[in-house]
Amino acid sequence: MADLIPFLQNIANGLLIGGVYALIGVGLTLIFGVMRTINFAHGEFVVLGMYAAIVFNQALGWDPYFSLVVALPAGFLAGVLIQRVILATIVDAPEESSLLATLGLSLIIANSLLLIFGGEPKSVLVPYASSTISLGGGVNLSIVLLLAGIATVAAIGGLYLLLNRTEIGRAIRGTAENRLGAELVGINTKRIHAVVFGIGMMLAVAAGVALIPLLFASPTTTGTVFTLKAFVVTVLGGLGNIGAAIGGGLLLGVVEVLGASYLTSEYRDAYGLVAFILVLLFRPEGLFGRSVQRV
Amino acid sequence: MPEVLRAERLTVRFGGVTAVDHVDLKLADRDILGLIGPNGAGKTTLFNALTGFVRPDEGAVFMFGREVTHLAPFQRARDGMGRTFQTDRPFEELTVLENVLIPAFLKHPSRRSAERIAREVLDEVGLSDRADQPAMDLNLARRRRLELARALAIEPRILFLDEIMAGLNPPALREMISFVRKLREKGLAILMVEHIMEAIIELCDHVIVLANGEKIAEGAPQQVVADSRVVEAYLGTD
Amino acid sequence: MNTNLFGLALLLVIGLAYPFVLPGYLTVGITMLLFIGWATSWDILGGWAGQVSLGHSFFVGLGAYFVALGQSRYGLAPWWSIMLAILAAAALAYVWGRITFGLRGPYFALSTIAFAEIFRLIAINEKWLTGGATGVFIASLPEPFGIDLFSRWTQYYLALAFALITVGIVALISTRRFGYQLRAVREDENSAMASGIDPTAVKLKAFMLSGALTAVGGGIYGIFLSFLEPHVLFYLLLSVQIALTAIIGGRGTVWGPAAGAVLLILSGEVFRTTFAQANLLIYGMLILAIVLFLPRGILGEVSRRLVRRRYARSAKS
Repeated sequence: MADLIPFLQNIANGLLIGGVYALIGVGLTLIFGVMRTINFAHGEFVVLGMYAAIVFNQALGWDPYFSLVVALPAGFLAGVLIQRVILATIVDAPEESSLLATLGLSLIIANSLLLIFGGEPKSVLVPYASSTISLGGGVNLSIVLLLAGIATVAAIGGLYLLLNRTEIGRAIRGTAENRLGAELVGINTKRIHAVVFGIGMMLAVAAGVALIPLLFASPTTTGTVFTLKAFVVTVLGGLGNIGAAIGGGLLLGVVEVLGASYLTSEYRDAYGLVAFILVLLFRPEGLFGRSVQRV
Repeated sequence: MPEVLRAERLTVRFGGVTAVDHVDLKLADRDILGLIGPNGAGKTTLFNALTGFVRPDEGAVFMFGREVTHLAPFQRARDGMGRTFQTDRPFEELTVLENVLIPAFLKHPSRRSAERIAREVLDEVGLSDRADQPAMDLNLARRRRLELARALAIEPRILFLDEIMAGLNPPALREMISFVRKLREKGLAILMVEHIMEAIIELCDHVIVLANGEKIAEGAPQQVVADSRVVEAYLGTD
Repeated sequence: MNTNLFGLALLLVIGLAYPFVLPGYLTVGITMLLFIGWATSWDILGGWAGQVSLGHSFFVGLGAYFVALGQSRYGLAPWWSIMLAILAAAALAYVWGRITFGLRGPYFALSTIAFAEIFRLIAINEKWLTGGATGVFIASLPEPFGIDLFSRWTQYYLALAFALITVGIVALISTRRFGYQLRAVREDENSAMASGIDPTAVKLKAFMLSGALTAVGGGIYGIFLSFLEPHVLFYLLLSVQIALTAIIGGRGTVWGPAAGAVLLILSGEVFRTTFAQANLLIYGMLILAIVLFLPRGILGEVSRRLVRRRYARSAKS
């Protein structure tokens, strides 16, 4: 029985961190589902969220979560702008063009951060960094992780309501299913693409803010790590499928935490990558997905 | 006349739909076989199953008496099966000559002899003056001729033409018809999917009519066109 | 072909003279030549066959580690190690391609990242194989005909030979059957098959050639660095740099990748003091500009104009 408590502890931690991965993955998969764009800059968007929290914390002493008040709308607007200025002009080019454009964007973001803030890793120390809440039976949840989990649930819940209860949500789903059809019924798909990219970036920024009390952000490497994680999450779930991205995120979180405690932690990142390749090859519709429409 | 191509009980299913349903066909040397039928009858699927682009679920395909049912399209091409594509798909970024050079390399590994063949074929289809033009700049009629040139450059013995006449204006259509006739005279066996009845009636020795994946009639073109079942199949679905 | 021959002669002459004119910039020259070779090798697969790989740093690392480990563990001279690396790179490219060539477009690119990352993790963690994260040191090298391989001059001329060989091979391929098979597969696999081409076989050959040549450059790079760390050699951003060099210069052209390498390494030098570590900023801005304004890359766009102009002129006469 003694083994059960650390196990439950690991599961709880894995689910909470996996929730944040889900948040990142959901944005990536939403962008792919609607725009067919594989967003290579997604991890850099997460890092932008982290640096926003760092800046507000250092300059004004704000709690990371308070910086969301500025970071979320800024993230949305930046996403809309990026889509309008860059991606909208190549919407009919081969899929590869948007991959290259976002790859370029990721290099620009990462290296601009490096120029502005320097290379040393940064983090935000919150007063509740080591506080925990007992769940009984010896399982404790770190407040930081719990807040990240709550933020995730709130963001995904908000997204769910937006997609299912609003006019623009219907338009987004319509565009995802069939862009030409959506245009025929009068949906301005250009606007929808911009909004979706804005939402995707906003979710990534939120994830960055939620993560910064947990880890150190470094301008050029952290983004790549999260871009790869986001790809793993979404491919595990099936590209373009939001519910599945949530499942994929939680799964990756749990697998990483369990793998690191019970197996060798050196190959922590490899488990996800191997699964990623296997899923791409044998179940391109994802682990949980019904088959997604493919050209 | 010796038989060059035979299909036996060829069947292709997509999910629950049977696109091609136990179709038999034979193509003799120097013969032109027409494949007609209303839209969605399974003509293109049958065509793709014969050329190897679609795996049949049942049945067999024989070329020159040898079974090729499970051979890949490129293997059938090496055995002498040339084909055009309905939505002509030239190598857009390459010039007209280079487009024809690629299939010519199949039988002629050296650049010099491949280029000689390619230029001959271009001459035949009347595209010599366009040899150095990028393929993407060609108009529809010339794209069709390029499509045909590429199929001919592998020096095939059987030629599959997928709606090569569609969308051509009357003079271009006449030209294409007489060109196909010349190809037969040169010794090619031809199987053509076509909507243009004028071409079918003028060119084909035999016609097969497909509806809902099944062969509903076959025979000489005049006779088949008069068949009441064929008329019904066309009118019934349109 | 004549322009290619002229270009190669020009590269040879400039390349031979460079160290005498700018002896203080040998390192820049070596880097530039290595990138010419890598980007040109990458382009066999990425440009000519149209399969974008973002995992080519793996082959760089492979070549470098073969040389270093061959020397330090088995006393094997670098030229033997490089030959082994060529075989190993081709074999691994074959297996890798067999597994992933079913994937199309961006999915193939994603899978190359995953593969290269897995190899990187192996290189970092398997101490018995690679010396692990701490790295390997090339302490001594043989001196064939009294040539010092540690000298920058030697390394420079090795890199020049590598650049000349890769560009030469691609120039040769470009007018021959294999070059046209590659282009056919890139443009349209179905049409390629109708022309009797086996797309998988062609892509595999391209991948094997591309990987093997990249590994040769990796071997020279290993000698140049003489201290090898897995996170440097198997780095994702090195893969990205190689790919972007070729794409910016012009994919599927003989000289595009080389032009890209000259442009990028030179601007890296020019902005060295401004950007310091952040020199990939240039790659980011240029690739964005290319995607938006010159999707065929710099020389890709130029060569297309030339083809059009040549046709227009011939049509007039």
